[in-house]
Amino acid sequence: MKKFENVCIIDDDHIFIYGIKRLMKEVNFGDDILVYDNGKVALNDLKLNSKAGKKLPSIIFLDLNMPIMNGWDFLDDFCKISESELNNTVVYITSSSVDPRDLVRIKSYSIVKNYILKPVTAKDLELILKEEVA
Amino acid sequence: METLLTSSFIKDYPASVVIVNSEMQIIDHSKLWLKELENHSGSPIGLPIYDVIDYTSEEFSIRCEQCLIGGEQVKLIQELNQPELNTTWLEWTISPWTENPGKTNGLIIVKDDITETKKREELLLKSKSIARIGGWEVDLLSNTMHWTRVTKEIHEVPEEYIPNLEEGLNFYKEGVDRDKISDLVSDGLNEGLPWDTELRIITAKGKELWVRTKGEVEILNNKVVRLYGTFQDIDEEKRVELKYNEVSDRLAIATKAASIGIWDYNVVDNILVWDDNMYKLYGLNKKNFSGVVEAWESSVHPDDIAPSQELLQRALKGETEFDTEFRVVWPNGEIRHIRAIAFIQRGDNGNALKMIGTNWDITKNKKSEIKLKNLLDITSEQNNRLMNFAHIVSHNLRSHSSNLSMLTGFLSQEGDNNEKDRLTKMLCEASESLDETVQHLTEVVQVKVDAIDKMRPVNLYETIKGVEKNLAVLLKEKNTKCEVKVEKKLQINAIPAYMDSILLNLFTNSIKYSSPERSLALRITAERKGQYTMVTFSDNGLGIDLKRHHNAIFGMYKTFHKHKDAKGIGLFITKNQIESMNGKIEVDSKINEGTNFRLYFEAINV
Repeated sequence: MKKFENVCIIDDDHIFIYGIKRLMKEVNFGDDILVYDNGKVALNDLKLNSKAGKKLPSIIFLDLNMPIMNGWDFLDDFCKISESELNNTVVYITSSSVDPRDLVRIKSYSIVKNYILKPVTAKDLELILKEEVA
Repeated sequence: METLLTSSFIKDYPASVVIVNSEMQIIDHSKLWLKELENHSGSPIGLPIYDVIDYTSEEFSIRCEQCLIGGEQVKLIQELNQPELNTTWLEWTISPWTENPGKTNGLIIVKDDITETKKREELLLKSKSIARIGGWEVDLLSNTMHWTRVTKEIHEVPEEYIPNLEEGLNFYKEGVDRDKISDLVSDGLNEGLPWDTELRIITAKGKELWVRTKGEVEILNNKVVRLYGTFQDIDEEKRVELKYNEVSDRLAIATKAASIGIWDYNVVDNILVWDDNMYKLYGLNKKNFSGVVEAWESSVHPDDIAPSQELLQRALKGETEFDTEFRVVWPNGEIRHIRAIAFIQRGDNGNALKMIGTNWDITKNKKSEIKLKNLLDITSEQNNRLMNFAHIVSHNLRSHSSNLSMLTGFLSQEGDNNEKDRLTKMLCEASESLDETVQHLTEVVQVKVDAIDKMRPVNLYETIKGVEKNLAVLLKEKNTKCEVKVEKKLQINAIPAYMDSILLNLFTNSIKYSSPERSLALRITAERKGQYTMVTFSDNGLGIDLKRHHNAIFGMYKTFHKHKDAKGIGLFITKNQIESMNGKIEVDSKINEGTNFRLYFEAINV
């Protein structure tokens, strides 16, 4: 089975990060896993990488509630990156929020592929693999 | 000489006079008489009068004979119908003349054209008949009563009916009407007083009618000899009038009871009239104002005068309806809300002629409307907050519970002991976080539950100093310079525990987010702002990017700094505590310069 070339996780909850990384290993999700604990760090780093000629991640798991720069602000800025640079990047929102207003808001971002309500399971990751890579 | 003089006097007499002898031959006449004599040429002197005047009636000659014999003046009215001419009325006054007493030598006949008078009389009779005005008369000497035809018609008695005073009075409706007329007649008889009144009679056919009866008294030698007057059927008008009075009385009672003021504006003459209710609505004494416009302008709220006048002008032009609301300020300073509606009467060319309007007090409705709106605002605001709170709670509890379930899942499958230890450690951490979240939530809920009646005067300076003392170690670590510029006796209305919590939170925030580049400087001041005492809490710390975070700064679980202790709950609780004490909190901040919080508390008047 194919896997993702490079994966990015943006979340301030280190237990969640531990969990998802462990699950990714289980399902052989991807090799290169970048982790950021808020949107600002992620955005700066990804932009730098892109400038340095490094490919952007093909999939990003993004939390909504984070300090400094939350998921929404990250999305607003990230959308401005030109398509040629994007490397067909898709974003999956990972959040504990069941607020319907969040679900409606997500629909306004074309780059967001889906919304995964925490906890993320191995099955969720397998389905994503099937859809995006196969 | 004498005869000549007399003759010349007769000639120039300014009436139509003719003198005849006992043979009825003309012996002299006035010029006027001759002039009126048509179809006759030459002098009529010596001719018999009947030959000269062809229109004298038979009655005329009889009366002349009577006068010649009896020697007394007679009068005769003759209706003259001449072909191709209008009817004329002549009044003949026939007087005897004598040279020697006891013998009549002839007659002086004066002719008077009374057509005009007669016509007027006829017209009067006709109009009286149309107006249903009859006459009546009581001759107290002969004790007889006479009614004219119309009076009889009004009483619905036959033409041959012969009235008498007692019966006449009995036609009046029993009760007040009959008592009144009896009194009036009695006053007339005893004191000679006239009357003019409106009463009801019951006709011979049993119909109730309103009549106007007028009475005059004729007195001769201090004795009342005659009563006479008019009698008019005013039933239709009276009933209309009574109906109108009833309606307008009813309206007056209704408008008074409902406190509706009515005004009337004559656009053409620019005259505005108010009824008494209007003055009451404006809390004014009618006596104090010479003009209504002045009264209006003196009472309407200054901000509402111009818009009301503008609306009036637009309504007059026909651009809009006049239906508005404005405020009036009563002399005692009370503000009342008035609703005003008006209707405009227009002339044929569409010009406004008159405006009639109503005013009524809607203060009560207005107040409940405002109250209702406030309640609605509070409710929707609370609803909104509850909704947010529910989602925040769900989010936070979920984030920990999902971690817990994930970790337990891993733990059950994990074989490696080191990894197991690591998982257990994380499990503890997650459950502690969950516990902490639950504690925060309890704290938040507690704010909502705490009652307002715990409010009491709190000394601001001492509270600040107390919190400062508790944090002395932390403040010293940061080498803090703390300046408290608050009047030492200043008190505010607050809940003491909340005050401690709010100040503690602001102090710790300033410590937490102080700049590593400079030592922390705090400044706390207080000043009166209307109903509030405003406390300003300033630091020179990291600051907050308010452009980005303004809406969220007081939100739950919002953190803006990368700090290990940032929980995002403190300011949320602070805001809730301040609001539950009827206060408010504001913030401004500059990145890397510092933050100013302004806290508003209920002031206490000294």
